[in-house]
Amino acid sequence: MKNLSLYCIDINSRYCPCLLAETNHCVFCSQLKGEESCNCNWQGVCVLYEQHWQKKNSAHTKEPLRSEITTKFSITEELAKDIYLLKFSVPQELAKELNKPGAFVFLRAPGDEHFCRFPVGVMKVSENEAYVVIEKIGPKSTRLFFNNNTELVVRGPYHNGMFGQPWIDKITGGKILLIAGGMGQPPALPAAIKLSQNHNKIVAVLAPGKVGHIFIAKELANLGIDLRPVVSMRKNGLPLLKELLIEKPDLIVSAGPDEQHYAIVNVLQDQGLDIPMAATNNAPMCCGEGICGSCIKETNDNKKIRTCKVQTDFTYLIPY
Amino acid sequence: MVKIVVVGGGWAGCAAALAAAKCGADVVLLERTDLLLGTGLVGGIFRNNGRYTAAEEAIAMGGGDMFVAMDANARHKDIKFPGHNHASLYDVTTMEPLIRKVLQNYGIVIKTKARVVDIIKYGKKVQGVILDNGEITTGDAFVDTTGSAGPMGNCLRYGNGCAMCILRCPSFGPRISLTALAEIKEIMGQKMDGTYGAMSGSCKINKDSLGEELRVKLEKEGVAVLPIPENIQRKSSLGKKACSQYALPEYAANLILLDTGHAKLMTSYFPLDDLRTIPGLESARYEDPYAGGIGNSMRYLGIAPSNNSLQVLGMDNLFCAGEKSLILVGHTEAVVTGLLCGHNAVRYCLDMQYLELPRTIACGDFIMFVHECMNQDEGLKLRYTFAGAAYFERMKNLSLYSTSRAEISARVAEAGLTDIYNTCLI
Ligand SMILES: Cc1cc2nc3c(=O)[nH]c(=O)nc-3n(C[C@H](O)[C@H](O)[C@H](O)COP(=O)(O)OP(=O)(O)OC[C@H]3O[C@@H](n4cnc5c(N)ncnc54)[C@H](O)[C@@H]3O)c2cc1C
Ligand code: FES
Repeated sequence: MKNLSLYCIDINSRYCPCLLAETNHCVFCSQLKGEESCNCNWQGVCVLYEQHWQKKNSAHTKEPLRSEITTKFSITEELAKDIYLLKFSVPQELAKELNKPGAFVFLRAPGDEHFCRFPVGVMKVSENEAYVVIEKIGPKSTRLFFNNNTELVVRGPYHNGMFGQPWIDKITGGKILLIAGGMGQPPALPAAIKLSQNHNKIVAVLAPGKVGHIFIAKELANLGIDLRPVVSMRKNGLPLLKELLIEKPDLIVSAGPDEQHYAIVNVLQDQGLDIPMAATNNAPMCCGEGICGSCIKETNDNKKIRTCKVQTDFTYLIPY
Repeated sequence: MVKIVVVGGGWAGCAAALAAAKCGADVVLLERTDLLLGTGLVGGIFRNNGRYTAAEEAIAMGGGDMFVAMDANARHKDIKFPGHNHASLYDVTTMEPLIRKVLQNYGIVIKTKARVVDIIKYGKKVQGVILDNGEITTGDAFVDTTGSAGPMGNCLRYGNGCAMCILRCPSFGPRISLTALAEIKEIMGQKMDGTYGAMSGSCKINKDSLGEELRVKLEKEGVAVLPIPENIQRKSSLGKKACSQYALPEYAANLILLDTGHAKLMTSYFPLDDLRTIPGLESARYEDPYAGGIGNSMRYLGIAPSNNSLQVLGMDNLFCAGEKSLILVGHTEAVVTGLLCGHNAVRYCLDMQYLELPRTIACGDFIMFVHECMNQDEGLKLRYTFAGAAYFERMKNLSLYSTSRAEISARVAEAGLTDIYNTCLI
């Protein structure tokens, strides 16, 4: 299970084949990349076939790519200055799709241009209400609250919010080390829920980060997770991590900024440990469909990947 | 100890594994499906025309085990059908377990449901292959016998779509070429019109679905020739087929059925409704491919460039055989190239000079001739076999064709190759 080759998070979903396939830019199928023959490694339904049948049927069924709906939102809590916990209701089907580790949506205010939308990880779905945490940090996130706006346009579902997500989905009965700091807390919660459903034993190191606040502690405690809150991830969290690694966890989940991911990888390397690590995807994104290129990262074997769609092992994104 | 890893368990891979084991190597054979023999699970014809000579050469060289097993498992021997003499038909429904046993008796480790998806390579050397479950198999030399049929996308783009053939790509994952993983540029076979690939040339009808009279005749004689009513003859489809030896006018005007355990129909595909208008076939249904009324598998999409020792050009310890190595058709062709390639893989490990088969025997001339043809654009549009078309003509012209065991073994002896495959090198 250690080897995670590059693959598209949307493959064989109802969003596949996508716009990229139409112009021979599919990230997976060699023929839909313009090559002359098959050269893929996919054991699911052949993407070229799906494209073939969809073209045949396209006359009557050209659905929009993802749903976009306008809905009211309310601020349930101001977690810190400029950081809000929001909730908004979504149709049942979308709610179901968002209730997974790594799920995210794009949000913007109704009157705003499409390019004002920004990606937000879903923290929790309860009934048909989605909960997200938003930090007013740049022009896009600030516009959502501009002029006392109370409505948003939500576009989704998107699923590539976490690198190494297949590990989270598949592991059962294992030992997990969950490390979440600051704004990494919202995406940590769905991962923790999934992992505990699959009877994994989880130890969570939590730091308040810039938010100054550990706000998922109660929910994690309800899942029976062993909590180790620290004041600072750098000062206390990493030394604690070294101690916890003696237990040889089967999987590490790092939810937080890239600096946190790097620091953990460093510790693992220092100790000569080869443990798979899932990590939140913090790339800036704009379209979410692999088109605009905002989310491109380079792997250490010089492939450019569009991280809004392409799954990989986070360590491939660290230059040698 | 020398360890040879063979990837792809069709006839070519089985023969390569056998030859390497006979040389004294440790051999692992990796096959992506749950059955050995690959497209050999649905063919069955051997010893027809020049294939007789090739099989006897292999026997004289000490690599006859596969042919001995086919002979022992033949449903019919020495039959005739248009353009073909002294053909044998092995029973495709019972061949696989026999070959498995032969290989196991030589101590070959057979792993099925073991699809190679990646390679570990250093410079021009393959160090190991990675299976889709992440398992790594290392070795001293590697053999690419992954064939050239499918996968689904190729059958869609160059053929009539996936017709659900014996390779069962959706169930076991697509064919993956070891040579392509080693980043060696592959050669593509072409149809007469220059588009890539060629469609497999026969489909099989379930024998129990034939009319009683026809079935009895077929089982007794091994062959049945049924005239096709004029209104449903299709003359233009011949160029698309893989098997040029069956691209004869007789095959457009008649349906030729052979008893290989199934009723083998010597045409790529035939619309079911039309088929059922022919007397004896009123209730016919296809056994392979399941959608034999629509199309068949596409082949020759990805052939490794190689030299006459069947070493892949650009790599040191990678060898190839069967459809992966030449635009060839046939079990016999796969077996004779497989033997040479497995044998040379061991020679590589022992730093020995590679074996090349001389032009004085059919197998040697065949490999050299096909390599020469493949260097010319027009040559990529033909398929080569001992059983017919251009190469059988050449065999006859060069007096390489013979059905005399004594004559053939004398030629092999003169070339100094008697029992060469039976010699332990280690
Ligand atoms: C319908 C049909 C009828 C035929 N009839 C006849 C006949 O009557 N007489 C005759 O002489 N010839 C016949 N042929 C041709 C003959 O079967 C082939 O030319 C010959 O058997 C090819 O053998 P091969 O070993 O090169 O390839 P294949 O038989 O294609 O074997 C390749 C094997 O490699 C495996 N493989 C591929 N990728 C991987 C991977 N990554 N990892 C592990 N395993 C892998 C495949 O599963 C397969 O088993 C027929 C072919 C077809 C399709
Ligand atoms: S966000 Fe536009 S390409 Fe990934």
